[in-house]
Amino acid sequence: MKQSVHLLRVGIAILACALTTIASAAESTGVTDTTIKIGIMGPFSGNAASYSKAEIGLDAYYKWVNDQGGVNGRKIETVLEDYACDSAKGIAAVKKLIYQDKVFMLHGNSCSAVAMAIKPVVLEAGIPWVIAHAANGAISAPATKNIFHGVPVGKTMGMAMGRFIVTKPGAAKIAVIQHTDDWAKSYCGPAMEFLASKNIRPVVEVSFERGETDATAQTLKIKQANPDFVIACLYESETAIFLKDAKKFGLNAPVMGTAGTDLENTLKRVGDLDTVSNYYVPHMYADNLDGPRLKRFVEILKKYYPNESVTAFSLISMGSAAAVVEALKRSGRDLSREKFIAELDKIKDFDTGVLAGRITWTPADRDGVKEVAVAGFVNGKPAVLKAWGQPL
Amino acid sequence: MYFLQLTLSGLAQGAIYALVALSMCVVYRATTVVNFGHGDLVMAGAFVVYLLVVLAGMPFLVSAILAVALLFVLGLLIEVGLIERIKSGPHIGFALMCIAFGYVLRGIARAVWGREVLPMPRVFDLSPVMFGDLVVTADALVIFFAVGVLLMLFFGLFYRTSAGRIMQAVCQSERGAALVGINVPTFHGVMWGVGAALGAVGGVLVAPLTLLHPALGASFLIKGFAAMTLGGFGSLAGAVVGGLLLGVAEQWVGFYVSTKLIDITAYVVIILVLALRPNGLFGRAVAERV
Amino acid sequence: MNGQAAQGAWARWVGGTHVFYAVPLLALAIPLFANQYTQFVVNLMLVYVLVAVGFNLVLGNLGQLAFANTALFGIGAYTASMLMVHAGWPFWAVILPAGIVGAVAGFLASVTALRGIRNYYLAIVTLAFGELLRWIYIHGEAATGGTDGLAVPRADFFGIALDSETARFYVFLLIVTVIVKAVSNLLQSKIGRAIVAIRDNELATASLAIPTGRYIVLAFTLSGSIVGVAGSLFAVLIGHVAPESFGLIELILHFAMVLVGGLGSLFGSVLGAVALTALPEYFRRFPGLYEMFFGGLLIVFLLIQPRGLAALCAKWWPALRDRYFRDR
Repeated sequence: MKQSVHLLRVGIAILACALTTIASAAESTGVTDTTIKIGIMGPFSGNAASYSKAEIGLDAYYKWVNDQGGVNGRKIETVLEDYACDSAKGIAAVKKLIYQDKVFMLHGNSCSAVAMAIKPVVLEAGIPWVIAHAANGAISAPATKNIFHGVPVGKTMGMAMGRFIVTKPGAAKIAVIQHTDDWAKSYCGPAMEFLASKNIRPVVEVSFERGETDATAQTLKIKQANPDFVIACLYESETAIFLKDAKKFGLNAPVMGTAGTDLENTLKRVGDLDTVSNYYVPHMYADNLDGPRLKRFVEILKKYYPNESVTAFSLISMGSAAAVVEALKRSGRDLSREKFIAELDKIKDFDTGVLAGRITWTPADRDGVKEVAVAGFVNGKPAVLKAWGQPL
Repeated sequence: MYFLQLTLSGLAQGAIYALVALSMCVVYRATTVVNFGHGDLVMAGAFVVYLLVVLAGMPFLVSAILAVALLFVLGLLIEVGLIERIKSGPHIGFALMCIAFGYVLRGIARAVWGREVLPMPRVFDLSPVMFGDLVVTADALVIFFAVGVLLMLFFGLFYRTSAGRIMQAVCQSERGAALVGINVPTFHGVMWGVGAALGAVGGVLVAPLTLLHPALGASFLIKGFAAMTLGGFGSLAGAVVGGLLLGVAEQWVGFYVSTKLIDITAYVVIILVLALRPNGLFGRAVAERV
Repeated sequence: MNGQAAQGAWARWVGGTHVFYAVPLLALAIPLFANQYTQFVVNLMLVYVLVAVGFNLVLGNLGQLAFANTALFGIGAYTASMLMVHAGWPFWAVILPAGIVGAVAGFLASVTALRGIRNYYLAIVTLAFGELLRWIYIHGEAATGGTDGLAVPRADFFGIALDSETARFYVFLLIVTVIVKAVSNLLQSKIGRAIVAIRDNELATASLAIPTGRYIVLAFTLSGSIVGVAGSLFAVLIGHVAPESFGLIELILHFAMVLVGGLGSLFGSVLGAVALTALPEYFRRFPGLYEMFFGGLLIVFLLIQPRGLAALCAKWWPALRDRYFRDR
């Protein structure tokens, strides 16, 4: 008697779950009379958690847009999902957003490897997807029906890094220090490719893993090779450790970092200007992080996330968000995915206010931002540079 | 050309590994439990120091001492509250329990510090000392000094004082010690506290060198194991020697062979030692002939 | 009299183990109620059922602590992917190789047991082995795709393209059911009993002229083969294999599934896998909660219910009573 009653209860539970799933298949494209649902995926936990600042910035921007009145009488409802930079979780998250939450579009993603893993799912669903942070150009190229890149891709950044390096007089010997992960490769790879096209190949390549606290072996190996320039594709902590070790052992060559670090915060982390005076980074923004032109974006972030500290990642996705909002507005009240994608493809030379480059999307070319500058310390202050020794 | 410098840096790193390995060994010797959550205790020590220095604005030395004391209490509580409770279960239970609370610590760290990567402000603003071509940073000097003093204190205590004799007694025979009137459960708790405190010292020393994030503990766990294995499981002196050797080995391998191998030096050491000479350098018999 | 006999027969039927066959049969109905997302979660559950069953063999039935499970999982996934990507093999052909490579890996991870290495030392060796494997994935550029990993091509099961979650579900269900039944048979065989005997008292078992070292290695090898096959399913489900997915972070999930389900209990592995695959889906919005939850769950179960959910269920359902689990 007990067992069959138990089975019956289990059966009813299953049926109930099933019915609720079927019932919720009401609105199919994520647009209602009053809301537009946007799915934001980010690595909010896990080893890459600091990169989810980009998605936080994105969420803050959309909240601000709502406070300004929304888009054509609709408010943007953001659905945040964490995938901890893991492919399995990424697929679960994107399927949940597409098939369970039924969002109108996807916006976000900081981890390139996961973005590549979920690309087939997104392509099959045909849902518009704007990449707000991840740098791997292969996500959006060759151009597909529904995928857009709203930040400079690795190739663009690598070229900016490489171009800057060759403007240094006498730059012939390059050393490379990088993490062995896809993030570092997405910067160092294109940079080395660009330099190779100028017949400059690295004299020494070393790896420095995440989590290591000492770079003695790496620094000495590089010093031994006596390079003219060092490319360092390292995360925030490891960059600080390397720069400190470089100073300690008298490695005086200039160092080119990635857009994963910014000058202000790196200075804070190493603690003194001397260590960081020879450090350069690709710069995607219209100004320094604490400059006047970015002030209102910082304020947007602080208004909705007051405890959030501002780093290189915090404002990056606001650029593509501005473009998305523009396309939504132009699509009008009668909003559909096809219309929205068509409007995105019409975005041309759009000044986002936060990115240095302007966004242009066409059906054949979804690599939206093609301009990246380089920044370094000039007279103790971060400044954007046209070339070696030439501030803007 | 850089041999001396590499060795020096390796010793500085190795000193931290030695500390972590020693603290794990203390716990193991006293309670026969290998604490798989130890790396996270080290991380907790580092984070508590950060909290006290940055958020409460206390001076580094005071924060360090407080952090070590707090971790002592935490270790004690974990032993008494969690480990003792499952004494009667399978040995696997202990290991899982250690892994579990290590994870809880990591989760707490993540929940509180979320997305940020936390820099510790400069502790010792002295410029490095140069011996010819050799660079010795203030950080390295402090590590050597602290670890050296700690080891002397610890071994002095262990082998010379009556408290130490109690420790040796319980390590050799729990029943015998209990028969003689030593309070074994209390002893267990205290030794876990000591282990956690030692680990915290490692965390405190490492905090100014690196930026803190919740997953910091994982690598310390592995290095601690490798050091213990190399030195011989159960041997306190072996743990220290193993740690120093490991630190130096990493630097040598990294420079003379390939930097890609630094990450796995510890693993290779573990496998080689257990496959070729399971007793390690100073350990007792490990292989059970059944 | 007849009524009582009938009731007795019914009770025996329900209380007997053939009720377990109902589970996969009932499961066949799931696609009727699931959308792409929930079906994906169910498929993931099936993969983890295999993972938990394989892991439980070593952790629960053999009683040895081991940290190589994610590595075995990974090597199965990589083997399957590399064969599909580089050699163009169809999916159905790579399942067996994945199992075989997993078995070899399990063997290598545990071979020191032949020399008498046990318990913590064995655990640490398996840990080192696992991380070594992960290093190989990362640095095996051309073959393994390095840190970018490999994109797994469309899976082909004897001509049927597995490009929907539903199609994958049926194939996975078949494979998982067959393997779970095989493990069930194994546990009741001489090998299974020897393994459990070693857990309970190795010395006594050895005194019966059973070569304990060899059985330990055998257990690891079998475990490796099961988890390796799970890896091949995982590769096809996710469509992408990368080193990140097979590290220590994933391991805590494997531990939790086995412990919460019930150490040494086959049904427990299934329960644990199902329960703990679904649960992380609720934690995605709260950083840090995932780790606290899992750690806390393990602690609670260790303190209060070390024999897991299966033991709880066994109170009502005698068929589940694990004949092979004993507290030390």
